[in-house]
Amino acid sequence: MENAYHVGMADVIAVSSPAKLITLGLGSCIGVVIYDEMAKVAAMAHVMLPDSRGSKDHEKPGKFADLAIPLLLDELLKKNAKKERMKAKYAGGAQMFATIASGGGADFLAVGVRNAAETLAFLNKYKIKIVASDTGGNKGRTVEFNTETWMLSVKVLGKGVTMI
Amino acid sequence: MPEISSLNNIQLDAIKEIGNIGTGNAATALSKLLGKVVEMDVPKVELVSIYELSEFYGSPTVPVAAVFVRSEGKFSCSVIFIGSEDGANEMIKMWFSMSFGDFVTDGLPDEMLDSGLAELGNIIIGSFLGAINALIETTFQISVPGVAHDMLGSVLDVVASLFGTVGEYALVISTTLRISGVEDVNMDGNIILLPDPDALELLLRKLQVL
Repeated sequence: MENAYHVGMADVIAVSSPAKLITLGLGSCIGVVIYDEMAKVAAMAHVMLPDSRGSKDHEKPGKFADLAIPLLLDELLKKNAKKERMKAKYAGGAQMFATIASGGGADFLAVGVRNAAETLAFLNKYKIKIVASDTGGNKGRTVEFNTETWMLSVKVLGKGVTMI
Repeated sequence: MPEISSLNNIQLDAIKEIGNIGTGNAATALSKLLGKVVEMDVPKVELVSIYELSEFYGSPTVPVAAVFVRSEGKFSCSVIFIGSEDGANEMIKMWFSMSFGDFVTDGLPDEMLDSGLAELGNIIIGSFLGAINALIETTFQISVPGVAHDMLGSVLDVVASLFGTVGEYALVISTTLRISGVEDVNMDGNIILLPDPDALELLLRKLQVL
């Protein structure tokens, strides 16, 4: 497929079908895609952190789960999507270096788990239907969303590809 | 409190010197452990936008071995050592065969290799931090190392998130280690130092560049 878009850190990209949305090497970050099959549009965000509160810099709203989800909705509505038809899939939020169990390091690295929890919470808050997700674990993921099949492929090093 | 993005050249030079002393100490420790001459390039200190970090060292999908350590004390920080998967394996085999003889080089269980990697990382990072803490006269305690074998992009994604909680830039100290007698294996090792904001201030004050 010609139209492949790389969704870099904190990016939010909306596309019309046919197109692919790709994020390489998600660690603790989340790749979340919302789409409307009737309007044939999809938008993906590469969320880095759970919560924008306490951060003074909101230049890249895609960085935070709480700002990225409403931004995805706006972008899709601009492309004539209907909110009641929107569906969501997301993957990522690994806790890399999982063997650490002591001291400040552990909370520090649990950002993946919090990212996944906040993504879920904000999708629910905006009443977006969640079709599938693949989060947690301690392995990084490369994700690719295809707007012809509406499937999200999740590739894990040494484990192969799963379609969700 | 100093922001990483607003560090000036004198401050960056001072941090580079710290990096030089730290990585020098780490190279010496590695040399003693492996019984080989370890050469080291002058470290680079760079400010990298967290949004570009995952592609800064090359393709995000390259497999790497990484060790994460959290250090507590007045100079509190996190340190990540990232090496190519092949280079790290070669180092571990070299170390094991030196300690136990040549018969162990192939077919070791993954747990054993991971344990070896954790210990190598512990020694490299511990000696790196030891030199820095000695210089600024602070004491430190480091956590049990965590090990990851994964895509470069995924490891750097975690680094970017950690820096992302306090700003938009990552402070990266990197160097290349070459071990004599191992010419065909790329031993690039990057040590990424993530000082907590208070620790960065302390460091700059102790170096008299604040």
